[in-house]
Amino acid sequence: MNSDTIRDRKMDRKQLDAWLMAEQGGEDDAADTALAHLFAAVPKVQPRSAFVEQTVSTVWRWRARRRRLLAGAWTAVAALIIASAAIAYSASPLLGGLAVKAIAFLTGHIVPWLIAYASVALHGWLTLGHVGAVVASALITPGRVAAVVGVEFLGILAFYALHRIASAERLGDAQV
Amino acid sequence: MAVQRSDAELARDARSGSEAAYRELVARYAAPAVNFTYRFVHDRALAEDLAQEGFLRVYQRLNTYDPDRKFSSWFFQVLRNVTIDYLRINRLPTASLDALQEEGHQAAAVDRESASPEELAGRGELASAVGAALSRIRPDYREVVVLRYQEGLTQPEIAEILGLPAGTVKTYLHRARKELAEILAAQGWGPTAAEPTAGKTV
Repeated sequence: MNSDTIRDRKMDRKQLDAWLMAEQGGEDDAADTALAHLFAAVPKVQPRSAFVEQTVSTVWRWRARRRRLLAGAWTAVAALIIASAAIAYSASPLLGGLAVKAIAFLTGHIVPWLIAYASVALHGWLTLGHVGAVVASALITPGRVAAVVGVEFLGILAFYALHRIASAERLGDAQV
Repeated sequence: MAVQRSDAELARDARSGSEAAYRELVARYAAPAVNFTYRFVHDRALAEDLAQEGFLRVYQRLNTYDPDRKFSSWFFQVLRNVTIDYLRINRLPTASLDALQEEGHQAAAVDRESASPEELAGRGELASAVGAALSRIRPDYREVVVLRYQEGLTQPEIAEILGLPAGTVKTYLHRARKELAEILAAQGWGPTAAEPTAGKTV
């Protein structure tokens, strides 16, 4: 065992002792520094020598695969667009005729129904308005309005009187 | 002498299709990534797989990376999500202390080129003890400890990665250190204790 080895070994132990002493003494900063020195002295796990090359080749294989996939996807999208355009162009006279027929069919069947429903609804609304006007004119006369207002006023007075009586009873109970 | 390009520049070039820039980025973050995932899965091969998955996701999302942001923060955020996804799907149990002690041997078996067997034995013992203690604290505490002390990130960077307030990160770190210290002290590590035997921790 040479002198350097002995010194290094003692150094590690000394660092461990220094950290534990600092920790026991509650010296936070000193303990932090001492533990950092101790960790620096502890041997590290070294990756295999081929690790870097293997990692790079793995990542570059993934990169190449992804590029191939992307290229394939772009090619497929382009082919799809071109094929769709070609089909649409070649079938456009037929498709155009079908579209016009569909619009004419829908318009011919739906529009008359919509007009019929709207006129029925409008008629019902006008009838309701007429009935309402007749009922209101029959009910609203000066005498009837005066009677209703009078009843309402009497009701409010009765409610106020009850409220006062109830308050007085609560107060009386409290005093007892 | 060529000037070292920044992570943000490499990320930009990788996004543009530069394999060399991406390779450089992977080389820079390979060890931190594997170390980060290893602390959660305790299996070196699985840690490498997760790190590789993390690098793939980083590449897939390079278009979302904001160059004004520190690359390491963004990288660890992505890697953390990959790790969490894996842990959720596979419902990995917390590793037992015995299993972790075995991993201590594994951890001690790294860095072979740069250290003598005696040095590795001494460091391995310590690594085993620290690794075992780390595995026994709460996962959210473990996360902040790994990011702070293993990856050397600042508290604001950790807060950004975890989506937590800076005050919470500080509290987590404080509590995590306390718990780690208590666990190690209970195992016989400490200023006044004699060096624990290998059988005790490894």
